[in-house]
Amino acid sequence: MDPFATLGIERRFDLDLPAVEKRHRELSRALHPDKYADAGASERKATLSKAVEVNEAWRVVREPITRAEALFTLAGLTVGERNEPKPSGELLMAAMELRETLEEAKAKRDLKAIEKLAGEVDAKRRGAEEKLRAGFADGSAKRAKIEALVPVLGELRFHKRFLDEVSAIEDAIAEADVAAQD
Amino acid sequence: MLLEIFDPKARPRPVGIDLGTTNSLVAFVKNERPVAIEDCNGAALLPSVVAYAENGVVVGAGAKARAADHPRDTIVSAKRFMGRGADDAETRRMGPYEFVSPGAGDANVVKFRVGAGTRWERAVTPVEVSAEILRALVRLAEDELSSIGGAVITVPAYFDDAQRQATKDAGKLAGLEVLRLINEPTAAALAYGLEKRKNGTFAVYDLGGGTFDVTILMLEDGVFQVKSTGGDSALGGDDMDRAIAEEVFEQIGDGESAQSAARSTLGDAVARTPALIRVVLDAARAMKHALTESDHAEAQIPTKTGEKNVRIARDRFDALIAPLLERTGLACRRALKDAGLTKEQLDGVILVGGATRVPAVRAFVAKSFGREPLADIDPDQVVALGAAVQADLLAGDGPKDDVLLLDVLPLSLGIEVGGGVVDKILPRNTTIPAAARATYTTQEDKQTGFEIHVVQGEREMVGDNRSLARFTLRGIPPMAAGMAKLEVTFRVNADGMLDVDALETTTGVHQTVLVKPSYGLDDETVEKMLMDALDYGEDDLRLRRLAENRVEAHRLLTATGKAVANDAALLLPGERESIAVAMRALEEAASEEDPAKIHAGIEVLDAASKEFAGRRMNRAIARAIEGRRVDDVELAPNKDRPSSRSVDRSAEGTR
Repeated sequence: MDPFATLGIERRFDLDLPAVEKRHRELSRALHPDKYADAGASERKATLSKAVEVNEAWRVVREPITRAEALFTLAGLTVGERNEPKPSGELLMAAMELRETLEEAKAKRDLKAIEKLAGEVDAKRRGAEEKLRAGFADGSAKRAKIEALVPVLGELRFHKRFLDEVSAIEDAIAEADVAAQD
Repeated sequence: MLLEIFDPKARPRPVGIDLGTTNSLVAFVKNERPVAIEDCNGAALLPSVVAYAENGVVVGAGAKARAADHPRDTIVSAKRFMGRGADDAETRRMGPYEFVSPGAGDANVVKFRVGAGTRWERAVTPVEVSAEILRALVRLAEDELSSIGGAVITVPAYFDDAQRQATKDAGKLAGLEVLRLINEPTAAALAYGLEKRKNGTFAVYDLGGGTFDVTILMLEDGVFQVKSTGGDSALGGDDMDRAIAEEVFEQIGDGESAQSAARSTLGDAVARTPALIRVVLDAARAMKHALTESDHAEAQIPTKTGEKNVRIARDRFDALIAPLLERTGLACRRALKDAGLTKEQLDGVILVGGATRVPAVRAFVAKSFGREPLADIDPDQVVALGAAVQADLLAGDGPKDDVLLLDVLPLSLGIEVGGGVVDKILPRNTTIPAAARATYTTQEDKQTGFEIHVVQGEREMVGDNRSLARFTLRGIPPMAAGMAKLEVTFRVNADGMLDVDALETTTGVHQTVLVKPSYGLDDETVEKMLMDALDYGEDDLRLRRLAENRVEAHRLLTATGKAVANDAALLLPGERESIAVAMRALEEAASEEDPAKIHAGIEVLDAASKEFAGRRMNRAIARAIEGRRVDDVELAPNKDRPSSRSVDRSAEGTR
């Protein structure tokens, strides 16, 4: 499936997401099962599968990682964590250090330090996205150039996972605070 | 009776039903406005209480009155047990009930033993209890409307698949055509949105009898879109009653509460007889209601040593429920975070659920969201009114507004992979209907079966999530490890209900596996209960099928007639004629008495109009993409786009 074609948008990383969201909404309005409650079985089936496809396309396109994965796949490259090249030693070292610092801050329940770390990783995340934005801006980019971008996807996964973990830690601390009042 | 319900000449009216933990009610759209249907005493709320007795079943206020004397035969708050396993902690937490332990090989379903030790002793499931409540609502609605044309039933947004399935089963068991399950907060927003025609972003804070939900919704261009949802399916007004009840027990000195450290729960207490627990809980509820208006409340509790007077001040009550409110606050913060919004970006907060009448709740919401909440519509009725609006949109005769609900999956769905870890296949907050696929492979040489374990929840380890189903895909030819390719597909329909299938692709052997729910009832059991409950004979079944087929034929004829009239330009030469022939044949079949003939007529018309329908769909898609309705879809590169749009930020995953 080409999620960009399904939504009728250009195949690129840099998207105006509010506009794409609006497009998704308009397509949903045209296809949602509620609009076909009275229709015959085959029409219900056809519109339902199209509605599912539209929702899937929006789910893929709205998140930077899945959007990038779709762009690589459409360029004929196989991505996914098991297929991508191993991350560089440099990236692994940096990730380990960050994780250690996060563990320390978590143990001390130091929300300020956690926030600062998250800010640093978030800046790196934005940097990685910028590389993808530039790399996928030119529709006629050569395969070799696109292939060179694959490690950036790996970086993005690292950053995302780290930020998710920060989010979970913050939730856990907030929960513990409430439990302490209980 | 059957003939009356399905009388083809009476215009069936769709209804909206709020099947609540404490109270239930039914509403319909009258002169383009939703109204709740009242009983002969002018009460719209039917207590969700079912009493079983030797001479039959009593539902509502009559049942509630029996609760104190027959605590084990009177089922209160059955919704809390819907779709739960017999061994869930929540099942055992509270209440005077006697449960039937499932035997080896039985489905792991909660069963209440009623009439224990009598001739009429039986076991009833929460689904059957809920069906009794639905039947009582249907009877109420039938007094007002000549015939009911399907129902929209609401469920808490946080309900998982098993709980939704149980609700749908209850509808089926009550003989209702369930048009759709919709989330309670979405229904509430629908009721508000339609009356006020607002665009904006809203939070719906729904504190009901047994469940708490918070939902962030965006209303834009007539589309109600759920941005995120969260909550706790085991937190509600009942917990406030329990908090007061503990206080009451302390005051009457039942000899348990004083030893504070390891204070037992109400359900475990030996000294607390089922009857006394019921009396104290009812008194607690009455005191909670009184505290909405006054700053203290009193009650008399009959005990072995005579009546005892108990008293509670509002300050004390507020302190007792503060921890509960803090728990709701956590869920609110998480929902905002998931939607990528701050509280300042909201345009309003809607209150739903009877428990939001408690002044401390309103104050807490006002404080948490930094604004006074909206409560212009009766918080006990707003959900049913919204459901009636949705039912009318789906099956009513009224104008089909350009209103649409875009709901999301409340909890992530995934499957178990190595080491008890969950691989999420569909993340929470995915817009539904949705589908997703994931591919797995074999771990061992010559492995011929895959065990698939479907779970729902946000936690990383399987054991911390809800187990929905397990099944094994067998018959895979022996291959080296890693050679087989297992493709698992999840499909979630617009009701938020899941269907999973698995297939091994390298061998070309297509195997679709039906998922048997871990909890709840399979279709066969529901069908059997339905037969038992309604005591159908062969003739009754045929009549029911006839009536259902007629309704379907009528719908299809109307829809096709409209399509042909509106989109004549899309008809190919000769197509109009062949559709017209099929329509006439179906009309004729519908006027006769043979359900099979009507069914055949429906299929013929469906086939005759299939390609025309496909063209209409493609044009609808093309129009949506052209933006004929909205012309401002710009997809130009824009490097320094301002990031003021919260939606943008959330979509980019920025913190």
